Amino acid sequence: MADKKKNKVNRQIASTHLTSKKWQTVVAILGVTFGVSMYIFMNSFMNGVNKTQDDLAFSNLAHIRIDNENEKNDYDPVKAVFSPATIFNISGRKDIQTETDIKNTNEIVDIMNRQQEVKDVTSQVNFSVFFRNGSKKINGSISGVDPENENRMFGSADKVIAGKWIDLNYMKSGMIIGKELAEDLGVKLNDNVNILTPDGASKNFNVIGIIETSIKEIDRSRAYINIGSARQLLGENFDYSTCVLVNLYNRDETSQVVANTEKAVGYNMETWQDANQQLVAASQLRNIIASAVSLAILLVAGFGIYNIMNMTINEKIREIAILKAMGFSGKDILNIFLTQATVIGLLGAVTGLLLGVGISSAVNQVPFKVAGLTTLPIHYQWGDFAAAIIFGIITTILAGYFPARKASKIDPVVIIRG
Amino acid sequence: MTTVNKNTNALEVKNLVKYFYDPSKFQVLKGVSFDVKKGEFLSIIGKSGSGKSTLLYVLSTMDTDYEGNLSLNGQLLTGQTQNKLSAFRNEHIGFVFQFHYLLPEFTALENVMLPAKKLGKMSLEEIEHKAYESLRLLDLHEQALKGANKLSGGQQQRVAIARALINNPSIIMGDEPTGNLDSKNSLAVQDIFRDLAHEFGQTIICVTHDNDFARRTDRTIEMEDGLVISH
Ligand SMILES: Nc1ncnc2c1ncn2[C@@H]1O[C@H](COP(=O)(O)OP(=O)(O)O)[C@@H](O)[C@H]1O
Ligand SMILES: [Mg+2]
Repeated sequence: MADKKKNKVNRQIASTHLTSKKWQTVVAILGVTFGVSMYIFMNSFMNGVNKTQDDLAFSNLAHIRIDNENEKNDYDPVKAVFSPATIFNISGRKDIQTETDIKNTNEIVDIMNRQQEVKDVTSQVNFSVFFRNGSKKINGSISGVDPENENRMFGSADKVIAGKWIDLNYMKSGMIIGKELAEDLGVKLNDNVNILTPDGASKNFNVIGIIETSIKEIDRSRAYINIGSARQLLGENFDYSTCVLVNLYNRDETSQVVANTEKAVGYNMETWQDANQQLVAASQLRNIIASAVSLAILLVAGFGIYNIMNMTINEKIREIAILKAMGFSGKDILNIFLTQATVIGLLGAVTGLLLGVGISSAVNQVPFKVAGLTTLPIHYQWGDFAAAIIFGIITTILAGYFPARKASKIDPVVIIRG
Repeated sequence: MTTVNKNTNALEVKNLVKYFYDPSKFQVLKGVSFDVKKGEFLSIIGKSGSGKSTLLYVLSTMDTDYEGNLSLNGQLLTGQTQNKLSAFRNEHIGFVFQFHYLLPEFTALENVMLPAKKLGKMSLEEIEHKAYESLRLLDLHEQALKGANKLSGGQQQRVAIARALINNPSIIMGDEPTGNLDSKNSLAVQDIFRDLAHEFGQTIICVTHDNDFARRTDRTIEMEDGLVISH
């Protein structure tokens, strides 16, 4: 009980110090406020940018892509048959084109669907074609899709600006075509487009929708049809596809899913991290910059607090000596000045939090109409708030600790003797 | 702390020696020994520079850089830790400084209350009551709620005396505690000190250069050149 009372005196002295030099206290608090608010703003802004970029990237990038394309064919029948030293002459040698397709699509889809980390699976039949309308002939590609799964994975329906995505389900000769491709071909909704495959197959499709993604390259060259029609056009059966796409609940778990299924699948499995290393690098770099800048600001605020605390202690050196002469111990003095620092830190953290959210939401109103954005992006994360408060308070207490320790070591006789 | 026997000495010093090293090595106390009885009102006189203040800082336990032995209330304090000494000062010693008196940001009343709050043995109401009583004793109750820095030098010194009394310390030490007071107030303080010593058994040790003050105390020690020359 006596201990509690003693701490209460220390707190009372600390609060008198804080309130009798108000402007000093306010300046010190503002330092922390600024540091904490910048930390929150910088990180929320960078998160917003990262999230925008990710949303954009994952609007047509699956977490895992399974295909047969990178399979290396090192098999050389000549080397297999003849011993290395043999001299031979082969004329008119031809390479047979290697398989680039998945022949057992349903099995692969089943395997992937059985994984508990897996959220959505869809298969595609992709191939290049000529789009023809009258005398116009444009090189592009067809994506034969499973409309429901495709939409679940990439939100395709939201990008359709005319017609309905889901009509692909039952309109077997319907086609949803990229906006610029449609313009280049001069076709509108309900017009017909003829397509010609590399193998010479040709078929008319009816434009039942127009799609606009945020990616120009796709809008200029791609059209979507039902996967069944695509197989028919290529003369393949229902188990055929060119790739199987997989999305996970948590996209950071790709490597373990690949490790678990690689053997059973037997095809090339490419994770989004491998496919888009620059995406990963860019968001990591942005996070580093945000943290570095905001920590630098906190550091500057820390020096400000250190200076103010030092000044306070130099001004109060006689009072400290008197307190010690009356029986306050070095620990009490440390306690008094650390209490001051903690109060400054707490008030700075709380006001910094409010200011940080204020600045962020103001920036979030600034118009910015690029790549699907309408305003500058802001994304709040609890972790940033927690880190801002913890860093703010730790900086303040550290900045207060060294002057406070100096104060606690003051020898009262030296001061009082004068 | 140990209970005080009526016959024990309140203070014993044996062979105190102290040096200053700045600007050059200089022996300021050259082997000072004396005892003070419990309830005694003692004055220390001597020429300026004879070492009175230096001696008093050693006696107050604030200065620990000395040779020899210091015991207060039968307890050897030489060689104790700073924390122990702070706690001892808080409970057993009241000190009135020569110049630096009060915490300027606090009121007179708060200044008087601080050592008692630190000691934590009374409730806040008791402390406030006692602080008012001390201030009234020194005729300062009307200044109680004034900021310490708004008071005159003499008033500040009397608040400092009230503060020294608040914890009922067994020993009160003052370095020219009436130096800033007019003769009327000075006499009043001397009366208070004498009452505390004779009626409540508190020991008073005052450095002074006022011979009238010294004459009214129970005993006077005279210092010269770092030595006690008469008891
Ligand atoms: N901090 C110090 N450093 C060096 N010498 C000091 C210091 N304080 C006092 N002195 C010297 O010690 C001697 C005694 O001083 P002091 O105890 O203040 O004397 P008094 O109080 O009797 O006037 C004086 O010669 C003084 O100059
Ligand atoms: Mg002196």
